[in-house]
Amino acid sequence: MVIEDFLQKNPLRVLNLDADGKVVDRRMGLVIARAGLGKTSILVQIALDSLLRGKRIVHVSIGQNLDKTKARYDDIYNNTVKAYNLENAAALRDETMRNRIIMTFNESGFNVPMLQERLNDLIDQDIFRPAGLVFDGYDFTLAEKEDLIGMRKLVKKIGLNVWFSAVCHRNDPRESKVGVPAPCHEVEDLFDTIILLQAESREPAAGRSGNGKVIELNILKDTTGGTDSSRILNLDPATLMIIRE
Amino acid sequence: MVRNIGISAHIDSGKTTLTERILYYTKRIHAMHEVRGKDGVGATMDSMELEKERGITIQSAATYCTWKEHDINIIDTPGHVDFTIEVERALRVLDSAILILCSVGGVQSQTITVNRQMTRYGVPRIAFVNKCDRTGANPYRVIDQIRNKLGLNAVLLQIPIGLEENLKGVVDLITMKALYFDGHMGEVIREEDIPDHLREEADARREELIDAATMFSDELTEAVLEGTPTPDMIRDAVRTGTISLGLVPALVGSAYKNKGIQPLLNALIDYLAAPGDIENKALNLNNNEEEITLSSNAGDPLVSLAFKIEDGRYGQLTYVRVYSGTLRKGDTIINSRTGRKCKVGRLVHMHSDEMKEILEARAGDIVALFGIDCSSGDTFTSLGLSISMTSMHVPVPVISLAVVPVDNKAQVNLSKALRRFTREDPTFRSHIDSETNETIISGMGELHLEVYIERMKREYDAKIEVGAPQVAYRETITRRAEFNYIHKKQTGGSGQFGRVAGFIEPLEDVEYEFVDKIVGGAIPREFIPSCDKGFKKCLKKGPIAGFPMTGVRIVINDGSSHSVDSSDMAFQNAAAGAYKEGVGKAGPALLEPIMKVAVEGPSEFQGGIMGSLNQRRGLIVGTLEQDDYTVVESEVPLSNMFGYSTVLRSLTQGKAEFTMEFAAYRQVPSGLADDVIKEAKKRRK
Repeated sequence: MVIEDFLQKNPLRVLNLDADGKVVDRRMGLVIARAGLGKTSILVQIALDSLLRGKRIVHVSIGQNLDKTKARYDDIYNNTVKAYNLENAAALRDETMRNRIIMTFNESGFNVPMLQERLNDLIDQDIFRPAGLVFDGYDFTLAEKEDLIGMRKLVKKIGLNVWFSAVCHRNDPRESKVGVPAPCHEVEDLFDTIILLQAESREPAAGRSGNGKVIELNILKDTTGGTDSSRILNLDPATLMIIRE
Repeated sequence: MVRNIGISAHIDSGKTTLTERILYYTKRIHAMHEVRGKDGVGATMDSMELEKERGITIQSAATYCTWKEHDINIIDTPGHVDFTIEVERALRVLDSAILILCSVGGVQSQTITVNRQMTRYGVPRIAFVNKCDRTGANPYRVIDQIRNKLGLNAVLLQIPIGLEENLKGVVDLITMKALYFDGHMGEVIREEDIPDHLREEADARREELIDAATMFSDELTEAVLEGTPTPDMIRDAVRTGTISLGLVPALVGSAYKNKGIQPLLNALIDYLAAPGDIENKALNLNNNEEEITLSSNAGDPLVSLAFKIEDGRYGQLTYVRVYSGTLRKGDTIINSRTGRKCKVGRLVHMHSDEMKEILEARAGDIVALFGIDCSSGDTFTSLGLSISMTSMHVPVPVISLAVVPVDNKAQVNLSKALRRFTREDPTFRSHIDSETNETIISGMGELHLEVYIERMKREYDAKIEVGAPQVAYRETITRRAEFNYIHKKQTGGSGQFGRVAGFIEPLEDVEYEFVDKIVGGAIPREFIPSCDKGFKKCLKKGPIAGFPMTGVRIVINDGSSHSVDSSDMAFQNAAAGAYKEGVGKAGPALLEPIMKVAVEGPSEFQGGIMGSLNQRRGLIVGTLEQDDYTVVESEVPLSNMFGYSTVLRSLTQGKAEFTMEFAAYRQVPSGLADDVIKEAKKRRK
């Protein structure tokens, strides 16, 4: 399959990540789930989709090292190549990864203003102007609402597509009206799109792997207008690749 | 009872100084000299004049000593990344290592490289936080960095008594005693109670140590629950953890001030692996290169690896690690690569550039042989065995320069030097450019070549003029193309005839592959190697600017011959013609070496560092930010890296530094390719 065909068939089109001319280029998105359900994998697939469309992406990783994050991309890329039988995979990979910068921070040393400073460095010196940012490992239990508001302003100012991941816990019952669980229930208004990952016990669709568990991508909120909530997306529990049911 | 250990670390962290202390306390030498000492003698392990002068270790030197009835073979390895092959070779044959860190600088980029190499070879290690006497020393921060930056489970076995100029000694957290190093050279150890002001800290750190150690011993866990852990139980658990790569015990001290060295020697014996503790693998050549585990038993047949060759004043000296069996003087052994038998003549234990004759070396020993003709990386076994140790990873040279001898005498001396250096160091290569007739040397970096040039001048009296460093460009093809070429020549006497047809196509990660798909004898069998030879000759020069070709597969699938006029030469010429026809249509492209460059410095300079890399056509791969310190990882074309150290220094007030290693060959952007081609043509004229 050639890359253009893949981009059209990518299940992520359901999220209207600027496909078919309906450009949604100033969005704050959130993927929330309990630990181990595949949040990072979804962020990497969203980033990879942008990279394959020639967009530049900054991947911010808190508490993970550079090599591990790079390895994530390689795994997802290889799985994509295998699943869609992509042509010219090696050359495409080199070309694609050139448009990505990974910034890693340790948990204690990170704050949003610092990240904003780093992004400004990249943009002002004309080193790298990202079209998107994925933000993995941000601790929402310690988040200041002011920081997130600052981030949203930045998103709107420089035209970024930003996706965060957040961990929720089984023993914390708090949630917002639309069902956004804690610790993000009070900052729900700052996000344009919110996806909740949930593990469901039922047989996977025919031809899919899995042991009776399916991970559903539940679109809790979308104000961009382009997301097709009627389409159901799942994660393949074996590869953590997004699939359309 | 043997320990084969390496000493690896960042440049200038005190490896050679530490080795000097180890040799002194084990009574191997009777006087200590400093690396840049006022007595001008230089450290024992830096035997090369250039090493003494520059204060850096260039060649890894081997030595041995005895401590508490254990033989310790030590390889002191270079710290600079350009000499990384020396580090790799040492790690391949060692069972464990001491990772030295500076208590001020902590984990630096070279430490990360060395640590990665140790991980690649599964080498258990202990950390020694050196230079605790220096201003700004903070061993606790260094331990945190080992944990966070290197991802190692580091645990302190000692804490320092005082720091900087007040460094007095160390507290042993296992025996809970304070150790002071008295006497002129710190040779007298005085054991006392822990000073009151350190009691609380020592208790807390001991608890941390025991917590970490219990992960590796049920016996210790039970004893801790009952409140009766003994020092031996803790040591055993730490040893198990270290050998299984789950734990890195850390010691502190100052080699220069003679503090903490004897406890480090004890730790080598207590925690590092003996040859029998490590599983060594080899390949059985009789069984499809099946991986087998070697026994480490001195009574079994011999398996040994030549890991380093040195052409010295006594002829070729081959450093050998014996993995199993016993190597005896007078034995006949076999080189499994060449199948050639040879007799073991002189067998010696090396001590820097001095040696001691021995009669035998048993499994686990590192010794040197004389008069054996072999290359670095060859396996020697007893007769009848067909086993090869796994091959070592050898990086490709990326930088080259021309050396021109000023007269005939210099020419002779230069050839002698080159013959020796290229045999000793697989990352250093030389060839003669057939167009310019210049001798070209290639290596891993500017310093690497600089050192060899100095050695040519000093050790061989080769008076040479040196050209500017050149990037080792390559050429390749980007698409498949067919060829069908007839070579016909009839100029009196017997003629030449050969037709070669097939296709040429790009190939990843391999320089050249020749595939014969001729059926029905279209080209007679005896002329197939002639075709291969003809193609190989052409690959030495690419069509764009005459740089060597890489990443090419040539498939021949048709051809024809003449019963009288076809010959080896005719098919070589036909292949050359076919190649020219094919390569022109295959989209030839110019490639340049891309280096992985890691710049490390205070976070306040991150923007500037990234800007400087960007200006050099660098691609920022990522950043790692921790405690006000940032590492920027990038990929930069080598051609843009000349002189970068000066730029970086002035940009960051000397607070940042960088390391660089080869990453890959990539296509030169078309705008720049024209300049490279013009320059290459100009040089040839």
